[in-house]
Amino acid sequence: MGDFVSNLSLGFGVALSLQNLGLAFLGCLVGTLIGVLPGVGPIATIAMLLPITFGLDPVGALIMLAGIYYGAQYGGSTTAILVNIPGEATSVVTALDGHQMARQGRAGVALGIAAIGSFFAGTVATLVIAALGAPLTKLALVFGSAEYFSLMVMGLVFAVVLARGSILKAIAMILVGVLLSTVGTDLETGRERMTFGLSFLSDGIDFAVLAMGIFGIAEIMRNLESTEARDIVHKAIGRLLPNKDDFKQSYWAVIRGTVIGAILGILPGNGAVLGPFASYTVEKKIAKDPRRFGRGAIEGVAGPESANNAGAQTSFIPLLTLGIPPNAVMALMVGAMTIHGIVPGPQVMTKNPNLFWGMIASMWVGNLMLLVINLPLVGMWVRLLKVPYRLMFPAILMFCAIGIYSINSLPTDVIFIALFGLVGYLLIKFGFEPAPMLLGFVLGKLMEENLRRALIFSRGSLSTFIERPVSAGLLAVAVLLLVLALLPSIRKGRDEVFTE
Amino acid sequence: MKKIVLGLAALGLAVSAAQAQTYPQRPITMIVPFAAGGPTDVIARIVGDHMSRTLGQQIVIENVAGAGGTTGITRAAQSQPDGYTIMMGHMGTHGAAPALYPSLKYDPTKDFAPIGLAAGTPIIIVAKKDFPAKDLKGFVDYMKANGEKVNMAHAGVGSVSHMTGIFFSSVIKTKPTMVTYRGTGPALNDLMANSVDYMTDQIVNVAPQIQGGTIKAFAIATPERSPALPNLPTTKEAGLDGFEVSAWNAVFAPKGTSPEIVKKLNDALVKALDDENTKKRLLDLGGVIPTGAERTPAALQKLVESEVARWTPVLKAAGATAE
Amino acid sequence: MSAAHHRPGSPGRRWVIRAPQNFAGGSLLIALAILALSLTQGLPQGTLRSMGPAMLPDWLAVGVGLSGLALVASSFLTDGEPLERWSLRGVIFIMLAIIGFAITIRPFVLGPIAIPGLGLVVAGPLAIIVSGYATNEARLRELVILALSLTPFCMLLFGDLLNLPIPIFPQSLVGLFPADWSQKDVLRATAVIMIVAAAVVFFVGRRKHAQGGVAAQGGSV
Repeated sequence: MGDFVSNLSLGFGVALSLQNLGLAFLGCLVGTLIGVLPGVGPIATIAMLLPITFGLDPVGALIMLAGIYYGAQYGGSTTAILVNIPGEATSVVTALDGHQMARQGRAGVALGIAAIGSFFAGTVATLVIAALGAPLTKLALVFGSAEYFSLMVMGLVFAVVLARGSILKAIAMILVGVLLSTVGTDLETGRERMTFGLSFLSDGIDFAVLAMGIFGIAEIMRNLESTEARDIVHKAIGRLLPNKDDFKQSYWAVIRGTVIGAILGILPGNGAVLGPFASYTVEKKIAKDPRRFGRGAIEGVAGPESANNAGAQTSFIPLLTLGIPPNAVMALMVGAMTIHGIVPGPQVMTKNPNLFWGMIASMWVGNLMLLVINLPLVGMWVRLLKVPYRLMFPAILMFCAIGIYSINSLPTDVIFIALFGLVGYLLIKFGFEPAPMLLGFVLGKLMEENLRRALIFSRGSLSTFIERPVSAGLLAVAVLLLVLALLPSIRKGRDEVFTE
Repeated sequence: MKKIVLGLAALGLAVSAAQAQTYPQRPITMIVPFAAGGPTDVIARIVGDHMSRTLGQQIVIENVAGAGGTTGITRAAQSQPDGYTIMMGHMGTHGAAPALYPSLKYDPTKDFAPIGLAAGTPIIIVAKKDFPAKDLKGFVDYMKANGEKVNMAHAGVGSVSHMTGIFFSSVIKTKPTMVTYRGTGPALNDLMANSVDYMTDQIVNVAPQIQGGTIKAFAIATPERSPALPNLPTTKEAGLDGFEVSAWNAVFAPKGTSPEIVKKLNDALVKALDDENTKKRLLDLGGVIPTGAERTPAALQKLVESEVARWTPVLKAAGATAE
Repeated sequence: MSAAHHRPGSPGRRWVIRAPQNFAGGSLLIALAILALSLTQGLPQGTLRSMGPAMLPDWLAVGVGLSGLALVASSFLTDGEPLERWSLRGVIFIMLAIIGFAITIRPFVLGPIAIPGLGLVVAGPLAIIVSGYATNEARLRELVILALSLTPFCMLLFGDLLNLPIPIFPQSLVGLFPADWSQKDVLRATAVIMIVAAAVVFFVGRRKHAQGGVAAQGGSV
């Protein structure tokens, strides 16, 4: 306990210096402003802004980077809510209900609750890291390939629950998503799969490209069809900030989301990506009226956004204590740290306590800055929605093209957002939902790798998934969830048969 | 339309030819064939930062990742040889690629104007903490006795850990079971959790874990010990001959770049490597700074030729291709 | 669309598609499954102990195909949504705009076609104006103003401030400016010219507006 207080005060001593506060603010601000451009996701944002930290001392640079990271994350959520373009896997869920809220003139409320929920989640997660960071590291090591595979299976079951319409179609979409994730060079054997012999497909399909096409471009194509749906907001723009009722409706969702996100974020194998999905599933399952979900339910924004931020925060644990980046964004942060001469690893905490605790304290400062910067900005973002759609979509389109090009400098990536846009449009026309497919895509790669690895370790025996207790537990939860999800529709199906 | 296109292209050529004397006049793009944040990217940014100051024009890093780095190098090789597009190649793209990618669109020994070696990153043999051996000799004996019961981790076909792992197996003549990971991070995680047995990887990736005592190191595959890990013996000291390997990074320009420009770039690179601050940053990463004789374009050309000659038979024998 | 007439109660015929949307969706899935299976032909399946590259994709494709079959079957058994109306204009112009951007941003070669890299200065306005025509409300003047103001904004933001290696203009353009101008100077000058041009179009058009009165409403070109 004494350690806890002295560590945190050491950290805040570093983070609250005038210069570092300024850097955190600046990082958050530019991170938000760049991250909010449609098509420029968090990875692209951080990569773009990395060079501006080069001139700073290591601690200052890392604090600014953390600011940029949070800003970019929140900027991505803003784009997901306003124009339905998720920049990374975790904001796919935010787009579901957040964008519906925006269409109902409640964009301000959605953005506000996202910022406030994130701040709460960030505060809790900071305390968790400070108190339990070191012991929690051990948990990360309990998870082997078999456990990850079972975790991913559970994640795919979430996707079934996530879906609004037909369960059969949702399952089909998940399978398609996993199938798409296997396109490209096989990691294990180096053989190319389903690439049509095209070299730019040999590294597989990029998530940002797929998400932007399926969500963003397809959405534009569909909006252009009917004049009524065209302008994003066709009702008067209501309140800019959430009121008492909104809070009442969402505070439990925020708390649950925080817990879920914080736990999943600790897993080094990109468990954080499951946080928002898990939170959404939980909220939808326990809601009195699950039909509101997908139609602008505030809990559907509050929970996942909190989970997202809590996970974003706790995923620093494996990074700082083990030196292992859990996902692409974190890998970029590792690169940034090494450029500044700090190689994350088990020794950072003892060798460089100033930096370690300063960074943890600055996470909280970064969250506070997000709130300070974004609550006033909400009004501005919402006003952007009033731009006539005939001018808005060409602008969105150009930003998407630039954003995608900037990631790998490949024009073929840009062409692919057009193709996936067409695919997404077809899917909408045939009554399929894109969200389960994206989740299948994200989890697919991890699932295949871990499945194959687990089977190599067990020398081909499938029982490894049941013999290991954690893995067996996760699979049991997955089966239970699936049964719960299927029951109503089986019953309903029977009812329909009977009424005919 | 065609006329305009041709006209524009001709104009572009004429302009670049005239600029050879006063080079550089605009920012230079350095293509890094890997995603931002990896070891090669970090080295490129550190070296590029200092080179920019010497050249008086910024060196902008462009990450063109894909196909083990060959996507970016292919693009760089096909760009105008005007000195405004250069690249950071490495052991994989300019040594192992011809064996790994049968339909490679460039020849590392013929299609480039070498600028100079930037840094070498030594390879270390590491194992899980509980591995039942205390030195390299015990490790090799255990490997030979247990054959495919031993699990070797690597970070994907064509990665440094994959290639050096195959090379190591061929030197000590055993066939372990290979376990694939997407990148070094997850592989290290399993190594720390004691669920995979060993791997061979770059010092940048594994040094913090070795220093932290979460994994075991047996030897470093360089002629001399590394200042970053002074207690770690070299493979030769530990009694193993024939396993000396380093994941080097070097700057190249496309073939046909004029000798004046190559000289200017080489001068800037050498200056960067002599700078105390740059040197320190590279050494902190466990990098090896090339000595005077290793820094010339001619030495780099020789290195590429010897690396292609070394990797091709090793990888072919192991049946490793990426197509 | 005609299927919509067959909705509830055309009981006379047994094999009628009662849910056209599901029928079409199911067929799409089946086609996708067949495509995937044919693409992985020749790749080894492997064993559980060491799975080959084709094992998982094949099983997934089978799963997708079965879902498709189930959807098609259900479309004969239960009533469902009709197919929605299609609008090709939006889809075509959006695709053209994005592809146009992709092939002009940097040198592009596809067989006999070779386009020199024109950079953002061409690709940006091209994408904006072409995509603008995806709706029948398009007005050329508005789109030109948008293109001429948003493009320089992006040029200054990405090219100047953030130093991204995104091509900004064709190399030959530099020749039109004084020789001692740096790349950045040319960028800034070009951006200023574009913004001024946008302002000119804005004001000139406005005066015409005033003179032409109602003509503005019919201004869609």
